[in-house]
Amino acid sequence: MNPATAKLSSARRNVVFPAWVKGYALLSPALLVMFGMLITPMLALIVTSFWTQHGFAMDHTLSLGNYWRLIEPSPEPTTWMGIAFPLAYPVPAILLVKSLLMSLTATVAVIAFAYPMAYFLAFRVTKHRGIWIILLTVPFWTSYLLRVFSWKIVLGYNGAINTGLKSLGLINEPLSFLLYNPIAVTITLAHAWVAFAVLPIFVSLDKIDRSLLEAATDLGDSKWQRFRRITLPLSAPGTIGAALLVFIPTVGDYVTPALVGGPGGTMIGSLIQELFLRQDNAPLGAAVAIVTMLIIGGLVGLFMWLIGYRKMREKMP
Amino acid sequence: MNRIKFIDRMAAGKLSRREMLASAAAFGVGLAVKPKLTAAAEVLTCLEWGGYDATDYFKSFVSKHGAPPNFSIFSGEEEALAKVRAGFAADVMHPCNYSVQRFVNAGLAVEIDTAKLSNWKDVFPALQTADGVLVGGKVMMAPADWGNSSIAYRKDLMPEDFAKNESWSIFYDDAYKGKVSMLDNEVAISIGLMVGGMKYEDSILLVGAALEEAAKNWGAKAVNVSRFLWNDPSEIQQGLASGEIMAAYAWNDVAKNLNKEGIPVAYAKPKEGYFTWFCGLTLLNSGKADPALAYDFIDAWLSPETGKTLIASGYGHSNIKSFEISDPADVAAMGFTDPVAHMNSAILFKNAPDAVQAEWNKAWIDTKALKQ
Repeated sequence: MNPATAKLSSARRNVVFPAWVKGYALLSPALLVMFGMLITPMLALIVTSFWTQHGFAMDHTLSLGNYWRLIEPSPEPTTWMGIAFPLAYPVPAILLVKSLLMSLTATVAVIAFAYPMAYFLAFRVTKHRGIWIILLTVPFWTSYLLRVFSWKIVLGYNGAINTGLKSLGLINEPLSFLLYNPIAVTITLAHAWVAFAVLPIFVSLDKIDRSLLEAATDLGDSKWQRFRRITLPLSAPGTIGAALLVFIPTVGDYVTPALVGGPGGTMIGSLIQELFLRQDNAPLGAAVAIVTMLIIGGLVGLFMWLIGYRKMREKMP
Repeated sequence: MNRIKFIDRMAAGKLSRREMLASAAAFGVGLAVKPKLTAAAEVLTCLEWGGYDATDYFKSFVSKHGAPPNFSIFSGEEEALAKVRAGFAADVMHPCNYSVQRFVNAGLAVEIDTAKLSNWKDVFPALQTADGVLVGGKVMMAPADWGNSSIAYRKDLMPEDFAKNESWSIFYDDAYKGKVSMLDNEVAISIGLMVGGMKYEDSILLVGAALEEAAKNWGAKAVNVSRFLWNDPSEIQQGLASGEIMAAYAWNDVAKNLNKEGIPVAYAKPKEGYFTWFCGLTLLNSGKADPALAYDFIDAWLSPETGKTLIASGYGHSNIKSFEISDPADVAAMGFTDPVAHMNSAILFKNAPDAVQAEWNKAWIDTKALKQ
């Protein structure tokens, strides 16, 4: 290397980039992936939702027709579970309500299971914590599809539960209500997402300053009061994060209803899949997908605002 | 030597960035070129009915190319059609007499050059020119299998008088709720209308309010009464074997396979009528594989050996020779050795115009989604 180039390269090394350039440079791989894999398909979806499918032909003129179809009123309401939907095409609205209810149930179940597990990990396990956490992730060493399918085996007509109850003499005929209904989907979703919820709750519980708990006890709080006034509020951000982490993706799930739901367990994701891949109506499918996203986004925003999430974050150390 | 020198210089920090980039680029170029040289040939992709993906049906293809093609399973041609239109790159598809037209109309089917099929000369002449094989005077489907759609039921579980009065009405009868399984296909609405007294030919042409009414009256009932709607015959085979269901919409092979296992299953001839069909293979222009592979695959399906396998499981085959090499008992059990006589023996599935079919697809999906 000649002295001139050496000088040049050392001079280059001294160039100072502003902090925001460095920041974006570090972010650039992630931004590229986000742009290529998330924003581009999203834009394509939005554009598609304004097109119209006529048989095999696609009409590329932009129109709000697909969105209108989703809210077009009809004088004859369709009744589903006692709720009247006065719409000309009530299927997406009904499935959206149903999916939201099913996901909400699954989320509540997940938190109910995950919270005690996380609590145990954070407060009771002192040795070999790493092993405990690895054990929690064991179900994730196999594919999601296999986990859903194994629920089919557990809940099935000749499945583990039915044969177990039969051999105990508790039932004569296998229980047929276990599989192919919304309950089966909710159980499967709850199991599949528990581990996702344990970790954020565990982190927020683990961060709690133990001296606060001691102080509460010193000042005369009972165990329950201590939990309600200190542990629960301080672990709330992690718990809420976990709940959203479960709720948002499960609303749009379609593999689980396809395998264990039967026609009665259909969710909005199943409809979107069928609109794209069975009914050959991608524009309507895109419109349903976008409306679903907006509604989930709106609900999550409303929920965060109602519970005062921002204030809660501000109080955190 | 050169390489070690490079690494040493790099480790010592003696490389300029420019040299470093140049070397990296050279290495990168090498990587980018390499896969092109060793790129594997594109594998054949086939859209297929559940069960027909067994290698027994295309042995000569497997022995020639070492592996079966990639399969994607569907429970109705409309599903396969929508999937290809959504961008799924399939080379070959297995439609039937009534559905080829849809693929031709969608601009997806390619004419088959029968000169490239060594078994074509042995195909029943009536099938070579049948409606559905020829579309607009061109061969659009190489006919392979023919058979029925009817009800397979457990003789020991169904009420005794059912055998004397076999009927599709069980799929729409609350007394059988959770004990039967219908195919996940809009044909469920047609069959319901037939139970209600309509002719099949008229039922498939319903549109608008009449179709909505039929979907509500018959489609919804089929969805509610069925334990599950099946997509793959293995689902009903397991269901019938375990007793989870007593009866199901089924093709010829289900009863035969279960009888072999010692399970008493009968294949019904319902009083409303049952269906016949003949299916085959269609070349699609969406595929990426070498068309020669597709021709090998189609030729394998037309071979007498495949016919023998089909006949042994209760189906018919398009190749005359397959009946000669089959077990005479199997041929006798079929009842027909002539596809034309078979088509005339029951209701041949028919296609509806595109716009009508699209309405039916929507009606069926909505009906399923509204199950409570």
